Amino acid sequence: MSETGAGRPAWAGDSGRGSGGDDAAREAKLARAFVRLADTLASDFDVVDFLHGLSADSVEILRAAAAGVMLADARGGLRLIASSDERMRLLELFELQGEQGPCLDAYSSGRAVQATAADSRARWPVFAPQACDAGFQLMCAVPLRVRTDVIGALNLFRGNDEPFTGAEMEIAQAMAEMAAIGLIQERAVRERNLLAAQLQAALNSRVIIEQAKGMIAEYLTMTVDDAFVVLRNYARYNNRKLSEVASDVVDRRIPSAALARPPGQHS
Amino acid sequence: MAAVAGADAAAGAGELVQRLCRFAVDEMALSGCALVLMSGAESASVLAGAGRHARTVTGLQMELGEGPCLHAYAYGIPVLLPDLSAENANRWPAFAAAALAAGVHAEFSLPLTAGPGGIGTFDLCRDRPGMLSDDHLADALVAAGIARDAVLYQQYAAGAPGPAELLATAGADRLAIHQATGMIAAQLDDTIANALARLRAAAFASGRSMYDVALDVVERRVRFDE
Repeated sequence: MSETGAGRPAWAGDSGRGSGGDDAAREAKLARAFVRLADTLASDFDVVDFLHGLSADSVEILRAAAAGVMLADARGGLRLIASSDERMRLLELFELQGEQGPCLDAYSSGRAVQATAADSRARWPVFAPQACDAGFQLMCAVPLRVRTDVIGALNLFRGNDEPFTGAEMEIAQAMAEMAAIGLIQERAVRERNLLAAQLQAALNSRVIIEQAKGMIAEYLTMTVDDAFVVLRNYARYNNRKLSEVASDVVDRRIPSAALARPPGQHS
Repeated sequence: MAAVAGADAAAGAGELVQRLCRFAVDEMALSGCALVLMSGAESASVLAGAGRHARTVTGLQMELGEGPCLHAYAYGIPVLLPDLSAENANRWPAFAAAALAAGVHAEFSLPLTAGPGGIGTFDLCRDRPGMLSDDHLADALVAAGIARDAVLYQQYAAGAPGPAELLATAGADRLAIHQATGMIAAQLDDTIANALARLRAAAFASGRSMYDVALDVVERRVRFDE
């Protein structure tokens, strides 16, 4: 979380808001934030770092006190992934535990929600007092959504009771959508890469098994079919994968004598 | 294109990539099109193909150990050779000469990229020189993407770490070459890579296919240590 030039937290009050210089600075921050949100396909991508970045950026750009991100797990339940600070983390855990709050509403409805301190007490009678005790008044959440696909929600809280403007809500929703697009793409690419790696490994091991069969057939003077039985038996006796044993044979880490008489067949 | 890809998802990857190859041959006036799975530079399996030159280009490259598809796979970039008799085809002189002799005059190889390495190539060839039109190239790139995803989906659907049955049968006709390579490595007490090079050289020198020489080795009619 960054601070203003006066050394005051950005969310502590916004008396100087609205000047042209501030707008330009905010636009520049927003542009940099969008670049970060688009950059999900780096080889060292980390989803927790990414969402911590979203929390920190949204706090700074939207003049919020704190932000947090929840993502849906495989069964559709929300999990807390990132928070801009410890107060927010505890509060969001409480939100999940109490099964009520802005994040849950934004996630289940797929729409942005915003409530002042008074509204929020009526709407979330268990959660709102906790948030108030933690020093938050205005509560807002936007879904992490791509078209009809909602994968989580971004919570934004303010220490005062000043609602986010229409423009600020649009920025919040756009950042959340961008994050959702990035995450969905990253998941798809990661799954595809994993499948491609599995396929390559399977095709490679098929070739290596044939090479190992040929090698054993030559060393032990037998047919390649019999060589396969030798290879398979050795893998079984030693409780190892066929492809690993084949690779060791081809690289001559297993001498042919060891293959000829597997353990348990001494007599 | 949509009609080809979306027609019947349940038909499976084999059926789908076969249809893609057939579509490409008809639509782009090709003499051959193939979906080739590769693993390492020395193993390629034609998963599906159409046209009279469907298997020609892959077969030549495996025999010669060089060519545009191997390059496209290794570097993940398309290789477009609109005229194999032209200067720029001389990156692979042995391949270019053999392909021309087999009646292939233009060859376009598109990598199936996924992750750090790809899984193979989508190959198109013609019996006359000439570049693919922009529209045809765009279609071919889309077809390559669909084919890649279909193959990976097949892998996904298979669940196990092993390749799906469809993929396992592709290239089964070349297994003898790998067996022979292992036998030659044992005979010469040398590496697999060197054994493969020896097998390839012996086939080239005798004007026979690697597969035929490999069968001689596996059936012990030929040894390499004599």
